[in-house]
Amino acid sequence: MGGGRAAQDLHLSTERARVSRLTRALESEKLLATALLAPATAILLLFIAYPFVMALWFSLTSIRVGDAGEFVGLANFSKAIHDTIFRMAFENTVFYTFWATIFKLVLGMWLALLLNRHFRFKRIIRASMLLPFIIPTVLSAFAWRWMFDPTFSVMNWMLYHAGLITDRMPFLSSGDWAMWCAVAVNTWRGMPFFAITLLAGLQTISPDLHEAAALDGAGAWHRFWHVTWPLLLPVTLVVVVFSVIQTFSDFQLIYVLTGGGPANSTHLIATYAYQIGVGSGLLGEGAALSLFMFPVLFAVVWVQLRFLKRMDNA
Amino acid sequence: MLIERKWKKWFLFYLPMAAFIAFTLFPFYWMAITAFRPDAELYATWRQPNAAPLWTLHPTLEHFVGLMQTTAFPTWLWNTMLIAVVSTLISLVCGMFAGYALARLRFRGSEFLGTAIFVTYLVPQTLLFIPLADIVRDLQLGNTPWALMLTYPTFLIPFCTWLLMGYFKTIPKELEECARIDGATRFGAMVRIIFPVAVPGILSAGIFAFTLSWNEFIYALVFMASADQKTVPVGVVSELIRGDIFFWGQLMMGALLGSVPVALVYSFFVEYYVTGLTGSVKG
Amino acid sequence: MAQFSRRKFLQYSGVGMAGILAAHRAPVFAQANTVHILRWNDFVPAADKVLREVFAPEVMKALGLKLNVETVNANDIPARATASIQSGNGPDIFMLLNNYPHLYASAAVDVGAIADEVGKAQGGIYAASAQLNRVGGKWVSMPWSVVPAMIAYRKSWFDEVGARTFPKTWQEYHAVGKKLKANKHPIGQTLGNTFGDAPTFTYPLLWSYGGQEVDAKGKVVLDSKETVDSVRFMAQFWKDAHDEGGLAWDDSNNNRAFLSGDISASLNGASIYVAALNGAEKFKTEKGAPLHTDILHAPLPAGPKGAHAYHTAFNHMVMKYSKNAKGAIEFLRWAHRKENYEKWFLVQKGFAVAPTREWEKHAMWKNDPVMLPFRNGAAAQKRLMGYASQPDKRAAEAWNKFLVTVMYAQACSGKMKPEEAVKWAAGELRKIYT
Repeated sequence: MGGGRAAQDLHLSTERARVSRLTRALESEKLLATALLAPATAILLLFIAYPFVMALWFSLTSIRVGDAGEFVGLANFSKAIHDTIFRMAFENTVFYTFWATIFKLVLGMWLALLLNRHFRFKRIIRASMLLPFIIPTVLSAFAWRWMFDPTFSVMNWMLYHAGLITDRMPFLSSGDWAMWCAVAVNTWRGMPFFAITLLAGLQTISPDLHEAAALDGAGAWHRFWHVTWPLLLPVTLVVVVFSVIQTFSDFQLIYVLTGGGPANSTHLIATYAYQIGVGSGLLGEGAALSLFMFPVLFAVVWVQLRFLKRMDNA
Repeated sequence: MLIERKWKKWFLFYLPMAAFIAFTLFPFYWMAITAFRPDAELYATWRQPNAAPLWTLHPTLEHFVGLMQTTAFPTWLWNTMLIAVVSTLISLVCGMFAGYALARLRFRGSEFLGTAIFVTYLVPQTLLFIPLADIVRDLQLGNTPWALMLTYPTFLIPFCTWLLMGYFKTIPKELEECARIDGATRFGAMVRIIFPVAVPGILSAGIFAFTLSWNEFIYALVFMASADQKTVPVGVVSELIRGDIFFWGQLMMGALLGSVPVALVYSFFVEYYVTGLTGSVKG
Repeated sequence: MAQFSRRKFLQYSGVGMAGILAAHRAPVFAQANTVHILRWNDFVPAADKVLREVFAPEVMKALGLKLNVETVNANDIPARATASIQSGNGPDIFMLLNNYPHLYASAAVDVGAIADEVGKAQGGIYAASAQLNRVGGKWVSMPWSVVPAMIAYRKSWFDEVGARTFPKTWQEYHAVGKKLKANKHPIGQTLGNTFGDAPTFTYPLLWSYGGQEVDAKGKVVLDSKETVDSVRFMAQFWKDAHDEGGLAWDDSNNNRAFLSGDISASLNGASIYVAALNGAEKFKTEKGAPLHTDILHAPLPAGPKGAHAYHTAFNHMVMKYSKNAKGAIEFLRWAHRKENYEKWFLVQKGFAVAPTREWEKHAMWKNDPVMLPFRNGAAAQKRLMGYASQPDKRAAEAWNKFLVTVMYAQACSGKMKPEEAVKWAAGELRKIYT
C-alpha cells in the first residue's frame, strides 16, 4: 500500500518536474517570446518572404509563362523606366494616392468630429457609416461603374433633371475625369475607416481639455487645431500610413472600374503589372513593375516609424 | 456643456451630417433599387423621358431567385464565411501572441522583428500571387479552402499585431506583476489576465480581419478553380458577367447579399470595435 | 433589450446556417478518367448548358470519361493559365483566345493528330485559324470556333437617312454616320481596353488603309503615311458620327446601348441580335415592333486598300502538365465529330462558327437570312495581328497592351494629333519588336 503510494508520488513529482521545467523555460522572456512569435513568423516566412524572394528572382530574369528564361540583370527595370505607359501608371498611382488620402483624411476627420457628439440614432448611424468599408471592393466598384455608365448613369440623370447639365458628363470616358472618379470611389470606400478610427482617438481626449480651452476663450476651430489635432496626431499618422499603403498598391478598384482605360490612361502600377505579367505572360517584367511600388511604400512606413518613435520618446 | 445657437447647429451639424449620410448610403440605396427592379426597366437610358432610376413601381424578386437558383451563390456565401472565420481566428491567435511578445517582453531583436512584420504588409498581393500559386500547389492546397485560409493571414497578421500591440501597451503592467507574484506563470498571466482585459481590442482586430478577408479577390481568383469553391467576390464577378451581358440585377443583389453577413457582424460589435480601437489608439 | 433580440437572432441564424450547410455538397473525388476543361462564360449561355448537360453525360457513355466543365470570365483566363502553367497543376484543357496559343506554346501537347483528322473530314481548317494554332510547324492547340464580328445596324434608321444598303466604303459610312448622329442615332464603337470589340475594329481599319504593324521581317512599319491617314480619318469620323462615350466602353456597353435604342450601328458578334431575338418582349423599337425585326448585319466597309476583318478565335490547348492528356485528346476528338459538334453549333445560331469549311454548307444558315453574313465571316479573314509577320508572342504583347486601339483612342479623344499618336504607337511597338 505504502509502496504504491510512494510510486504514485514519485510519478506525480516527475510529472510536475517535467511540467515545471517547461513552464520554467517559458518564464524566460526570450524563450517565451520565441514561442509566441513562432506561428506568425512561420506563416509570414512561408507565404510572404519566400514568394517575395522568388518574385525578386523573376524580376531579374526574362521568365515568361512556361519558359524559365535567363538572367538579365536589371533589363526589366530599365525597360519599365522607358515605358511611357508605366510612367503614366506611376504618375497616376501617386496622384490617386495623394488626393484620395487627403480627401479621406479631411472628410474622415470631419465625420469623426460629427459622430463624436450625442444625437438621436447615433448607434445606427455610426454602424451604417461603415457600410462602404464593409462591402467587398469589387462589388461596390461595379455598382459605381454602373452609376457612371455613359448610357445609363444615374448621376447624369440626376444632374440633368436638376438642370445642371444638358449633355452627359464623360465620367469614365475621359482620362482625367476617370482618374477623379476613381479618387471619389476610393474616398467613398476609405472614409469610414478613417472616421471610425479617428473617432476612437477622439474619444480618448477628455472633454475637460476642451472645456478648459473654451473657458480660455478659444473658438471651435482654435480648439480643434490646438487641442484636438495634436492629440490625434499619432492615430492619424498610423491610419494615414495604412491607408497610403493600401491605396498605393490598389488593384481591384481600377481593375473593375476602368480596366486601366480609356487608352491606358487610368492604369495604376498594380493593374499595369498585372496586365503585363499575366495578360502578356511576361512574368519577369510584371514582377519588376510590381517591385517599383516597394521603395515608395517602404519610405512611407520608415518615415512613420521614425515619427512615432520621436513622439514616443517625447 | 457648450451652448450653440439653433441655426449654428443646423449649419454645422445637421447639414453636414445629412450630406455625409447621403454620400455614404446613396450607392446602397441605388444598389437595392436595381436589385429589385425588373429587367425591362434596367435598360432605360438616362435620357429617356420615362427613365426613373431612383425608384421602381414594379419591385420583383426575380433577381434574388435567379441568383439563388441558377448560380452557386449560397455555396459561395458559405465558403467565404468559413474562410473568413478561420483566417481571422488564425490571424488573431498569431497576432495576440506576437503583439504580446512585442509589447511586453524584452528580448534582443524585438524592434527588428516588429519592423519586419510591418514590412511584410508592404508586399503587394499582385506581386506574390504567381510564386504563391507554385507554393500552394506544392503543398497540395490548390482549390481547397485551406489555400486561402493560410494565405489570408499574410495580410491580416501585421495589422492585428499592430492593433493588439497598441492595446496591450495600455494595460497597466501591474496586472501581470500581481498575477505573477501570486504564482502565475508568464504564459498563464498572459492568457488568464491580459487577454480577457484586452477583449475589446481583440474583437476590434477580429472584425477588421474578417472584413479584409471577405474583401480579398486576387488570391481567391487564382487559387480556387471550381465553381463550388469560389468566394463571393470571385463568384459574383466571374459568373454574373458573361462578357457582353452583365446581369446587373443579379450582380447588385449579389453585392447586397454579399455584404449582409459582415454588416451583421458589425452591427453587433461596432461598439466593441470602437472601444477596441480607442484602447489601442491610446497606446 | 438588445441582449434579448441578439439571442433570438442567433437562434434564427443558426437554423439558417444549418440549412446552408445541408445544401453544401460534399467534395467531388477525382476519378481515374476525368477531363477538366476551362472555358469562358459563353456569350450564348445555352452553349455552356450543352457542354454540361449534353456533352458531359454523352461522353461518359461513349468514352467512360468524366467531363468537368468550368467557365470563367474570358478576361480571367490568362491569370488562370499563367498560374496553372507556372505551378504545373490545373485544368487539362484550356480554352485560349486569339493568338494566346503562341504565348503558352511551350506548355502544350501536340494535337496535330486531331487537327489533321478534323481538317480532312470537314473540308479543311481555315488558314487564319491554322496560323493562330501552329507554332514552329506543330499544332499546339486545336481551333474550336470563330466568332465573326459584323456591324449590326438599325435598318429603319439607315433607311431614314437614305442608306438603303449598308455603306461599302469608309467615306460612305462616314457620310451616313454624320446624318445618323444628327438624328440622335450615332454609331457606337468601343475604343477602350477591351479584348473583343475594340481590336476587331481597329486592326481591320488599319489594314484597310494599307497600314500594318510590321513587315515580313519583323521591322516596325507602323509609322507610315497610310497609318496616319487612317488615324486622321478615324478622328474625324469619331467626332462626326460616333457616340463619344465609346472611349470608356467595354465589350458590353455597345450591346446595352444598341438594345436600348441609343445607337444605330455597332461592330459586334451576333450577341446583340440573339439577345433581341430571345428577349422579343423586352426589346422593342420606338414604334413598338420587336427590335430584332429591325436589325441587319454587314461586314466592315472597305478602305483605299480593301476591306478587312478580324474575328475572335477560340482554341483548345491540351496542357503538358496534365495527368490525363490522353483523355483530353480523346475528348476533343469526340467533340469535333460531326454529330457531336453539331449540337453545340446549332445552339450558337451562328454567333460562333466552326473553324472548318464544311459547316458553311450547313442547313442552319437557311433559317435566318439576318444571320447569313456570319456564315462566311471566318473564311474571309486573311490577316492576323502582327501582320505582315507571324501572330507570335510579340504580336500578343502588342495586342495585350492595346497599342493599336490606344493609338486611335488618343487621336479620337483629341489628346494627341494623329501624327503624334502614330509616332507614339510605333515607338512602343519598337520596344516590343527589338
